[in-house]
Amino acid sequence: MEKILNFLIEIGKLKRLPRRGWVIRGIKNPETIAAHTFRMAVMSWLLGRKKKLDINKVIKMSLIHDLCEVYAGDTTPFDSKFFSKNKKQWKEITKKWPRFSKKEKEENFKRKYKKENKALKKLILNLSPALKKEIIHLWVDYEKGLKKEGKFVHQLDRIENLLQALEYWKKGKQFAIEPWWIQIEELVDDPALLEFMKVLDKKFHKKKSKDKK
Amino acid sequence: MVKEKKFYLTKEGLEKIKKEYKDLKDLKFFKTKGEMPKIWHSEDLNPEYLSFQEDLSFLETRIAELEYIFKNAELIKTPPKEKQNIINLGAQITVGVDGQTDEFEIVGTLEANPALGKISNESPVGRVLLGHKVGDEVIVSSPIKTVYKIKKIKYLTS
Repeated sequence: MEKILNFLIEIGKLKRLPRRGWVIRGIKNPETIAAHTFRMAVMSWLLGRKKKLDINKVIKMSLIHDLCEVYAGDTTPFDSKFFSKNKKQWKEITKKWPRFSKKEKEENFKRKYKKENKALKKLILNLSPALKKEIIHLWVDYEKGLKKEGKFVHQLDRIENLLQALEYWKKGKQFAIEPWWIQIEELVDDPALLEFMKVLDKKFHKKKSKDKK
Repeated sequence: MVKEKKFYLTKEGLEKIKKEYKDLKDLKFFKTKGEMPKIWHSEDLNPEYLSFQEDLSFLETRIAELEYIFKNAELIKTPPKEKQNIINLGAQITVGVDGQTDEFEIVGTLEANPALGKISNESPVGRVLLGHKVGDEVIVSSPIKTVYKIKKIKYLTS
């Protein structure tokens, strides 16, 4: 039990770690990694329940998908090639979704995977062998999108991020929303999530019909 | 009648799935005999395998799922030379977008992995790129208008 307690204390750090994507865009008091995980877990249940998925696995996968960030930290696609130490340039850099060659994508993927895999193994080191295996296997499925559950949760992660982006954007419009939509339209192919994207579009971009009257 | 979903796979993707199917059948065989080969303890193996060790019904569900995929699988073939100037499944393309250059491969949903540039033919961008040629400007416009200018199309010869 003490080992479980120690693990819980470690993952509790995610309740205080802000999501880097918001930090570089200058959002004040941004959501934490744990806050993102919370809504994603609820979303995965609500949006995944009508699909032929192992919903228990889907919710667990959502809950563990970012645990590695306790030690690996949060990274954004901008970090590998476009990152500048000059904070004044961050706003400009994040106006466009970053593009990479095939080779760069493969290198970025491998680097991130290796770093996060190592961090996750360190985090779960003292858990029981069965728990360790389950967490690692859920994470590998999520990271690589090996099975339908992994693919669904991977896409859902981006959708939750889009929802949060739209909420911040609607509030102050202090950053460009385009990069979120662009990446999502290249990434999402799940019919239920494509449908949900239409609802997001209607809610945040289109004027309600009663407003037009 | 409901139209069955087609699963478009590259030769490599189909081989991978065939291997998984064979492995799972072997696992089922060992499991029903009450044995467990050491190989299944490797963490690099398919994440499903852990649940399979615990629950035979998960194993059977996945086997049935793979059988459904085989039944509806369609191998992505390299188009004839005269049609290799058109984007189809299996095309490796270079596009200009937002003043930058990007590289994609258009694949079926089972093999899609945008982090590696493998875009699903069922994603909004994958869908609109299909059927276009070098020089075409393809617009994705819901809700943000994005223009993809097609610069290069290439197919790996099988």
